[in-house]
Amino acid sequence: MNPEPVAGARPATPSPIELIRNGIFAENPVFKLALSLCPAVAVTTTVLNGLIMGVAVLAVQVLSSVTVAIAKDLIHPKVRIPVYTIIIAVWVSAIDMVMAAFAPALYAQVGLYIKLIVAFAIIISRLEVFASRHPVWPSFWDGFGMGLGFLLALLAIGVVRELLGAGSIAGVSIVPFKPLLFFALPAGGFFTIALLMALFNAIELRRSGGRMHSSMESGHGH
Amino acid sequence: MKWDLREVLRITVSMTVACVLGAVVLGGVYVGTERYRVTADRTRERAAIQDMLDLPADATMLEVRQYLAVAERQVRYRVATMGSGAEGPATELAFSLDGELLRLGPVTGPVPPADEPLGRVWVASQAGQALGFVIEGESRGYKNRIRFFVALSPALEVKGVRVVQHEEDPGLGAEIATPWFQAQFVGRTAAEVSRLDVTRDPMPEDWYAAVVALSTRGESPEYTRLLARERTLPIHAVTGATISSRALTRGVRTTVDHFARRWALIAPHLGGHS
Amino acid sequence: MATDPKQAQTSGCEGCALLSGSPPADCSSGGCTGAKPNEPAGGRGPLLMALALAALLTALLAGAAIMLLRAAGVAHADTVAPRIVTAHVAPPDAIALRFSVLPGDLSPSNFRITPADAPDLPIPIVAVEPGEGGRVQVRVGASLSRQEGYRVSVRDPALDWEVRPSQWSVLLGIFLASALIQNFVFTRYLGLCIFFGVSKRRDTSLGMGVTFTAVMVLNGMVAWAIDTFVLRPLDLGFLQVLVFIGTVAFMVQFLDTMLRKTHASLHQRFGLYLMLITTNCIILAVPLLNAQAASGPLESFMLAIGSGLGFALALFLMSCARERAELARVPRPFQGLPIAFALAGLFALAFMGFSGLDFFR
Repeated sequence: MNPEPVAGARPATPSPIELIRNGIFAENPVFKLALSLCPAVAVTTTVLNGLIMGVAVLAVQVLSSVTVAIAKDLIHPKVRIPVYTIIIAVWVSAIDMVMAAFAPALYAQVGLYIKLIVAFAIIISRLEVFASRHPVWPSFWDGFGMGLGFLLALLAIGVVRELLGAGSIAGVSIVPFKPLLFFALPAGGFFTIALLMALFNAIELRRSGGRMHSSMESGHGH
Repeated sequence: MKWDLREVLRITVSMTVACVLGAVVLGGVYVGTERYRVTADRTRERAAIQDMLDLPADATMLEVRQYLAVAERQVRYRVATMGSGAEGPATELAFSLDGELLRLGPVTGPVPPADEPLGRVWVASQAGQALGFVIEGESRGYKNRIRFFVALSPALEVKGVRVVQHEEDPGLGAEIATPWFQAQFVGRTAAEVSRLDVTRDPMPEDWYAAVVALSTRGESPEYTRLLARERTLPIHAVTGATISSRALTRGVRTTVDHFARRWALIAPHLGGHS
Repeated sequence: MATDPKQAQTSGCEGCALLSGSPPADCSSGGCTGAKPNEPAGGRGPLLMALALAALLTALLAGAAIMLLRAAGVAHADTVAPRIVTAHVAPPDAIALRFSVLPGDLSPSNFRITPADAPDLPIPIVAVEPGEGGRVQVRVGASLSRQEGYRVSVRDPALDWEVRPSQWSVLLGIFLASALIQNFVFTRYLGLCIFFGVSKRRDTSLGMGVTFTAVMVLNGMVAWAIDTFVLRPLDLGFLQVLVFIGTVAFMVQFLDTMLRKTHASLHQRFGLYLMLITTNCIILAVPLLNAQAASGPLESFMLAIGSGLGFALALFLMSCARERAELARVPRPFQGLPIAFALAGLFALAFMGFSGLDFFR
């Protein structure tokens, strides 16, 4: 796969599959871009919490991308950031209300974090980088890919934390005891992400033969 | 960056349009989901009450909403038969703070906004026979508030406790919502509950087994036998979640105590409703 | 190295670069470091300090005024000598009253004690024990808590008093809770993007911490005012998110413009942080939490300043640790963010020690 997929530099609009793969791997919001980390630790105590959060982010991302792609000619460039923010805030509030109505038990656990989706840098940056320059359908797929990457990352963290912390996955008990309750705590969340990120990096190191994506380097002379 | 008036105007207009559009969209979503949420909530509550009291299908239910009218120094109760759709006609009882009945008659208007809600109670009965009560309560937990239902038998013994909403940590505070923790309350009288405390001592093995058996099978002769020994002893806290355990116990204690005393006041006046 | 601006755009600090308008080259070294490398460390920000102080003083003055008014109001309408001078809970099961002159009738039937939220349910009184200097201990048959409110009334002479946990203890409790016990970074896991981006060096951490606290307090109070006086009375709760992000954006923009006009060097130093604040979860979480709890102005202020200082503390601690980590031999896959997360995990573990901290029980 192209090691540095760059959205704006492609000569033609990428295909849906490419966009989705981009969102999951090369530009995975949580593990690669390290954006929108707040919920990644907070809601992944169980798989279901991570699922509902991931679905919410996916929905907001897709809806916002499509809205911006449709309305991009109506948005004045000087105020595009505030307008993007308004669009995102509207969709977040709408998704928040819908979830509160249809899944109240799960929503109660993550309610505050769903409202905070509006502060995610990932969503607004996708709007700026992609949706404002591409037509509706590619924007849809880009948003979908990013959202899917986010959802899968949350699910991965959630599986590790729930399995180790509570001995179950999505409420289904796998082992009858709690192996390492530590992983259900915030500290455990941080460690889980550290390990998964390192795993991601290790895989990429091996695939690219020692060249790592520069955003992850600590900057030795700094 | 040079700005000219027309451009500024254009920007202002477009931003205002965006905001207004957004607010309208949200208003629409709110209206739609709110209606659904209210009916979904009521259905869920009814199902929980049915389950906790093990009610037959043709049981009637009264809903008693309690309010505190601070300025007028009254406690008011609105009683209505809980139908599957809208409520039936509601009766209002007003008591002074000393327990004197001030008013008993049909409800004349909506609840004044200054009245503080004190929670709801559901009274289940069938053919004039009381089947039990379910009281909703709330207390402050480790993270945020914990909402729960307490089910009482007609003789005011605990039939069950169910945590309806909480934000406690999974694996720790969230364990108070597990059936086995909640089963510890079952069978205690109102008097015993009003003195209920929490201990961090480990649970005796046989008591734990009995409690789990009760919560999974719905009944357990072991539980009934050991209850005689355990009923005056405190609730055993969840390891690592003392605050949450105490919060729920304190909430149940306060809720049952308050209900028992208020029910003694209003029960004689509700004869016409069973 | 990101010499290609387009590549840098897709690197980790896309959002930061976008919102701050800084050149993409600043993002090349793995996160928003904030100040440029050869920027002199240290230096005060007098204007920002002044802003923060002004906010603090205004809030304190307002709070004092409110409390005075409240105290005056609580001095009850129908007091006839003797009157109650003060009352407080004496755990585990008594309330200590102090009268100006002892009432004639000290029998239990002359007194009535009820929980504040259930004034129709009096707590049974076991004994009334008079003491010196107008003091009376009323012992009850239940356990009382200093965290709860109670209402004490005397029948003859007709007196009323509300025993409440002291305002300052409540406020201090909120402050400690938001700064330490439920630290927004280590316990509630909010504000992580900015946290990991900025905590690489001590001076940038301090800069961000200061800016953040100031903006947090101002924004928290503005958001509280809007919620209390506009959203709640008109039942527009569903517009909360939209309105709060609006106030944040507006506040940040306003401060940015003001700084740029008045103090250009300060703007160069703190400007980037200001922009980053817009995407910080905490700045939105505090108004939401205040709205959820329907807090008063003082409680909201305490939550805002507590969270700001807690965030600053977390940043500072993290930056100290990360500066050390840069000198350590970290395995390749762990370099950069993963080791930072592991450090944060260790801090979170340490902060767990604060849970259950309670001075006032």
